[in-house]
Amino acid sequence: MKKRGFADLFFLFLVLYLVLPILATALYAFATNWNSTVLPEGLTFKWLGTLFQDADFIQAFGRSVLLSGGAVLIGLLFIVPAIFVIVLYFPKYEKWIQMAVVMVYAFPGVILAVGLIRAYSSIGVPMILAVLGAYVVSILPYIYQGTRNSLRNVNARQLLDAAELLGASKVQAFSKVLLPAVYPGLFAGALLSFSVLFGEFVLINLVVGSRFETVQIYLMKKLSTSGHIASSVVFVYLVLMGILTFAISILTKRSKGVANT
Amino acid sequence: MSYVVIEGLHKKYGASTVLSNIDMTIEKGEFVTLLGPSGCGKSTILRIIAGLTDATSGAVKIEEKNMNNIQPKNREVGMVFQSYALFPNMTVKENVAFGLKMKKVDAKEIEQQVAETLEIVHLSDKVNAYPHELSGGQQQRVALARALIVRPKVLLLDEPLSALDAQIRKKLQVDLRSIQMKLGMTMILVTHDQEEAMAVSDRIFVMNKGEIAQQGTPTEIYTKPESEFIANFIGNYNVFTRKELEQMVGVTLPGACLKFAIRPEAIHFEASVGDLHMKGIAKESVMSGNVIRTSFEAGNRFFSVEQLHHRGYSIELGKSYESYVALEDVIELS
Repeated sequence: MKKRGFADLFFLFLVLYLVLPILATALYAFATNWNSTVLPEGLTFKWLGTLFQDADFIQAFGRSVLLSGGAVLIGLLFIVPAIFVIVLYFPKYEKWIQMAVVMVYAFPGVILAVGLIRAYSSIGVPMILAVLGAYVVSILPYIYQGTRNSLRNVNARQLLDAAELLGASKVQAFSKVLLPAVYPGLFAGALLSFSVLFGEFVLINLVVGSRFETVQIYLMKKLSTSGHIASSVVFVYLVLMGILTFAISILTKRSKGVANT
Repeated sequence: MSYVVIEGLHKKYGASTVLSNIDMTIEKGEFVTLLGPSGCGKSTILRIIAGLTDATSGAVKIEEKNMNNIQPKNREVGMVFQSYALFPNMTVKENVAFGLKMKKVDAKEIEQQVAETLEIVHLSDKVNAYPHELSGGQQQRVALARALIVRPKVLLLDEPLSALDAQIRKKLQVDLRSIQMKLGMTMILVTHDQEEAMAVSDRIFVMNKGEIAQQGTPTEIYTKPESEFIANFIGNYNVFTRKELEQMVGVTLPGACLKFAIRPEAIHFEASVGDLHMKGIAKESVMSGNVIRTSFEAGNRFFSVEQLHHRGYSIELGKSYESYVALEDVIELS
């Protein structure tokens, strides 16, 4: 019993350690005044209202969605077909993709930023495009894992064989059978990529900065002016991430259920 | 000419030869089994017939038409895979209907045929289930229905029952055979399970190391193995060299062959005229349901005897027994 009590205590401490900062931030986003009391003196939607009335925020949000979403779409368009072809028809080249995946993790953001600036600023490529390109490359690991795992789970080669023997052309087998079967895994990978890019700060701040203000840069700016607004930004961001995580977990579960066939 | 003809098939992967000199003829409506240990190339033959793998040389002909340059989708060959390969995002109905949809059959006709085919495999109540909601046996029935519905000229079955547990496997073997007879469909089954092969086939091709070791009806294969490999693979044959067996039975055996095989159930304990006799000490006994298999030591050789599990019948271990075998049950191996 005594041991059990200690374990519970430790668990409680861990939960507090992890959850308290988030809770406090969220609470601060709704607090009227929270200076000398344990709990806020009152609650209000004022900050959140102000935030959503701020055209800068809405625009920053739009830019973030555009940039991250665009990078994910381009990534899906180029990376997914390549992975399909390599995994299904040229498995011996898969190790090169795996190497590229590791390389993505190996580059620290700062070095990447300096490299991008030196390489592209002098030749007239808009830096935002350079960042977009870097984003597309940086989501390779997530897209690769998502795609490859789904292909493995559904035994893609055999599905294609089965479809072809039932009279489907290669294109039909691909579009009517394989794509719908791996779709949950693909979508989960895309959402994950999106949420990672949405939270990216180092590269965009160093390379483009306030010329293309994303949510993260807006947040940085607000930190020095209003803690309440900054907390509201974080709150909105957390809610968004929560929704994405929930969606990903549902999709992953579904693709696992499918995999048990 | 036969319905399916395979001529001089060779398959090499790089330097290793997977199939050499495979010749087979299969009649319309026949149930043929390719039987062999894993890695003997039997699945490769199926894949070549289906067009999923190219042969290095040789030809596959169906109804006298050479299939070598025909796409899998135009071969009218169906296939059932060991891992079912059902389309996970489609219901049972959509899975079964897939082949007809590809043929652009009209919806009403599809509806009716799907219902009929699911009836055949006893799955009418699972029409709207998804594959992951079904048991392994049910999934394989769906896979079978999906392949049957397009009425392929030849249905290939690649170890379809290997992933299922023994009881369901036995039941599906019976179902498979009765469906095949009812539809008069030509089927080629690949398996490594000799009991399964015996239970369902009209004819068996036993394969070893990329070659056909022997072909024949189940009875022929079982009672007249031509080589030591078949004798060992098909039954629990006792295989002896001529010298060993002559020492054990104490007489000179006719013929010129160097090896002999004796079925364990052909050895018995009641003498009849003309039988060879072997003396042995009972060493070990294994009971597998209705059959007791006892291993006897004679000199420094062992032979095993299988007896039905009779009441009151027992062999005491450590005791010496006289056992007998008729000369015609001593099979000459090449």
